[in-house]
Amino acid sequence: MTKQRKQFAFRMKVISVCALFGFFLIWYLVTEVWKLAPETLLPSPLKALETGIGKWSIKKPDGSTLPQHIFASLRVSLLGFCFGAVIGVPLGILMAWWEKADMCLKPVFDFVRTIPPIAWIPIMIILLGIGVVAKASIVFLSAFIPCVVNSYTGIKSTKKVHIWVGQTFGASKTRLLFKVAIPSALPYIFTGLKVSLNSSWGSLVAAEMLGSDSGLGYMIQLGRLLCRADLIIVGMVVIGIMGTILSAILDFMEIKLVKGAM
Amino acid sequence: MSKKKQKVRALVYGGGTFLLLLFLWEITVRMTDSQIPFPTPLAVIERFVDMLFHNVGYYYTIIGHVLWSLSRVLAGFCIASALGIVLGLTMGWFSYVRAIFMPIFNLLRPIAPLAWIPLAILWFGIGEKYKYFLIFIAAFVPFTLNAYAGATHVDKQLVGAAKMLGANKAQVFFEIVVPAAIPSIFSGAQVALSNSWMTMLAAEMVCATEGIGWIIIAGQAVNDMTQMIAGMLAIGIVGFLLANGMRILERRCLVWNNQGN
Repeated sequence: MTKQRKQFAFRMKVISVCALFGFFLIWYLVTEVWKLAPETLLPSPLKALETGIGKWSIKKPDGSTLPQHIFASLRVSLLGFCFGAVIGVPLGILMAWWEKADMCLKPVFDFVRTIPPIAWIPIMIILLGIGVVAKASIVFLSAFIPCVVNSYTGIKSTKKVHIWVGQTFGASKTRLLFKVAIPSALPYIFTGLKVSLNSSWGSLVAAEMLGSDSGLGYMIQLGRLLCRADLIIVGMVVIGIMGTILSAILDFMEIKLVKGAM
Repeated sequence: MSKKKQKVRALVYGGGTFLLLLFLWEITVRMTDSQIPFPTPLAVIERFVDMLFHNVGYYYTIIGHVLWSLSRVLAGFCIASALGIVLGLTMGWFSYVRAIFMPIFNLLRPIAPLAWIPLAILWFGIGEKYKYFLIFIAAFVPFTLNAYAGATHVDKQLVGAAKMLGANKAQVFFEIVVPAAIPSIFSGAQVALSNSWMTMLAAEMVCATEGIGWIIIAGQAVNDMTQMIAGMLAIGIVGFLLANGMRILERRCLVWNNQGN
């Protein structure tokens, strides 16, 4: 039985590898062999790879090398994300724990929440220019909302029994918050952080496309203007990889920090 | 009685803060002598009402623009739901389908939908097709993921019981797996809807000649902050209606399921 199962799993793995290989093979055939698409629309995978490797040191055509773009994007997104987390998580906790704050802020927050962060981009550009601050505030907005929502839900779903136990043993309100409510809300908070990291990375790309002079979003936007589809594909792949790396870091932190996380 | 009292208190506190913030906004704008023509909330509301009856741009009132945007969201969303649900369910239930499509899906998934904008423009031009494609991508991922999760978490006992009663493979899939995955698909649809609403905005802001995203970007082009903020107001209202409509639909359709309250 186990041998059969192992064989089955092995066969599935082989099929997976073949499928991936087939994906790239078809891409290669369409572009290089059959020439179904012009290179300006869909470059061959080899060409994209070549551009990607070359971009590490070549500044043409957008004025910065790939590491510089990555650094510019990372700086903005981490800045906005950190501000969003530092303000959003405590605000969510405050709103969930203190009833008056909840009543005061919930309607305002619910109203702001319905406007996607991307809609703020033009206003931010007018108010703050196209520099780091404008982009960071877009990222801040998109990171802030999931942080608040998730920490709010986390604190609200603290088990009543746990709070009763704390009260029975004479814990003060602050002690209850720090020893019972926040630890039990940590998994929620981390989910919120992950969601906000994802959405902040996504909105950063949009912010850089609409007004910027460096960064990955700028690079792919310029790739479109110059009909350099290979550059766009390199940018997209790097955006995907960076997003994966960032969420992997958060996953790792969650495993280390949160007790009882999956 | 106390519950009613509490509700009134919540309303007073919430409304009070809201009005206070608006008042502060109004005062700040009036007091400061800024270079930027930042509107007061009253001016925004006035403009918003004006937009309901007069054309923004040449052809449509704001309702027309919203309908344009909604039609785009609807098209992309429907295509994505059809393909995503089928792919997700089959990936979740048939191991061969999973083995073939999962790696490719995982390869493309981490790329943010907005990062597809330049490539989509190169491929489809700046017309409607490009927007449909982007919205499709934004909605496709959550649909597939949630349908997949729903199909993999089917109660094994149900499947066993059906098999014991002599159901064949197609029957197990259509009678057991598909209905069991529906709650999960609905929560995917919520995410997909808000994703596609946001992506539609970005797509229209990059290039469009009508639609709610165009209103904002046209306001930026002529430095008309009032139009931009009124547009954002419209976006918020429509987004709110969409999200709540979806929730009501879910409650209506899934009366038998008490998971999502």
